[in-house]
Amino acid sequence: MQLDGTNEFSWIFNLAFIAFIMIFSLYGAKFQMWQWLKQIETGLHELKRMFIESRQTAIDTFKEFGKSEEEVAKDLDRWMDYFTIMPVDLDPAGILKRLDHLLDERRDRFQEFVADIAPESTTTMNQNLENTLEVTQVLGLIFRVVRHFYLLGKKTGSQIMIMQIQMQMPDLLRLAKAYFEALSAFSEGKPIGDGIGPLVVTKFAREYGGTQENYNHEISREVGYYKIEAEGRTVYAMRATGPGGTVGKPGLAVKTLVDKFGDKLTRIITIDAALKLEGEELGRVSEGTGAAIGDLGPEKHAMEQAATERGIGIEAIVIKEDEAAAVGVMDKRILDSVPEVIERIKKSILKRTKPGDSVILAGVGNTIGIGL
Amino acid sequence: MYALGIASRVIGIVFTAAGFYILWWGMGTTDSLSFVWSIGGMFVMAMGFALLTSGRQQKEVKPPPPTVTEIRCNSCDFKEIRDFQKGDYILKAVETTCPKCQSAMTIEGVYIVREEPEDKDKI
Repeated sequence: MQLDGTNEFSWIFNLAFIAFIMIFSLYGAKFQMWQWLKQIETGLHELKRMFIESRQTAIDTFKEFGKSEEEVAKDLDRWMDYFTIMPVDLDPAGILKRLDHLLDERRDRFQEFVADIAPESTTTMNQNLENTLEVTQVLGLIFRVVRHFYLLGKKTGSQIMIMQIQMQMPDLLRLAKAYFEALSAFSEGKPIGDGIGPLVVTKFAREYGGTQENYNHEISREVGYYKIEAEGRTVYAMRATGPGGTVGKPGLAVKTLVDKFGDKLTRIITIDAALKLEGEELGRVSEGTGAAIGDLGPEKHAMEQAATERGIGIEAIVIKEDEAAAVGVMDKRILDSVPEVIERIKKSILKRTKPGDSVILAGVGNTIGIGL
Repeated sequence: MYALGIASRVIGIVFTAAGFYILWWGMGTTDSLSFVWSIGGMFVMAMGFALLTSGRQQKEVKPPPPTVTEIRCNSCDFKEIRDFQKGDYILKAVETTCPKCQSAMTIEGVYIVREEPEDKDKI
């Protein structure tokens, strides 16, 4: 190859080379932005498809309970924009109480909406419908937020805005896909990975004579407990009431139990699903100290407060899951972890409490598809 | 679709090979247009690579694994696994009795069995 400038075309090549360098140094960023926008656009189409399909699934599920498809679609679209304004945190005093109040109010509105849109549904199915609605809403929200930044980035030409959304896109798509695939679980009432906590509690209670009949309902909103005698200790095995899809208010339930039986309580054991790290085994059981509950704050605070006030030891046993497994139909490996969790509970009770003591065993999670 | 994919791969290989040859030849010759040949070779090679890699992202979407219901006898070791039916939930007492000992049976599990891809990073 000859570039020594001795041939008659060399000036063209030199000019082309300089032009190439200039174009790419001046417009390289624009070219990259165009590439990023194309990538966001592809992801956005995928998010839109998931949202539209989930909306249709929700409509198909709701229309079985007394209203026509048109009525359901109209109401559902109105509900897709429903929002909750978080309490002001400039003055943090009492924020958890205010947040708790707002979350209760939000839950009331969801229940009211579901009862309106599915008048012929049962209580259990209402809870599953609420979950279906929430999943559709989440998918709609992800789509609208990504679209907002895509259009705004395009309009303003803001490189940082486009870059951020492009970099977050794989994670957003993964999250949306997890919820999208979980939709059938919610609409058909199948148990999900997050329900492992309540399942462990009921299986443990059943080993020691707990039954549907001796389950005490509504110690707090949609949460109850079995009172059982295990290894010479009184165990209050607490969970949300299934098999409808609800998490209830387990923090408040623990507080109520502590207020009621506090004198003899020496231990609180919480069971929940926890997010696994990449590379960790699905269904791996781990234990630690603290309240295993992933709410926005009020429930965890109620548990910690109740335990701290009376000096009760609080520990957590968690089952490791990824997002897709936590919101999707329960994986066999998660179900297979139940005996190991029960063994660990027994060991903890025997080692850290004395005969005659009382223990709270709190199973935290969504009870969809998990009976009493 | 499958035949089209194969055809595009074959054309891609031909283009890549031809591009590589032109580039190689262009770099070796003292012809005054050698630079043009080299650039042309790179362009043809790029086209070949584009054809080879196009459609790679169109992975077949696997349907989700079926949800199954595991029913166990309350007295003996009898176990039955069937497809999930609407209304099934874990710990639900089923109406049918155990064919082995006629005892009551309970749904002990509703689950899926996911096929996990082999771990590439064995760390």
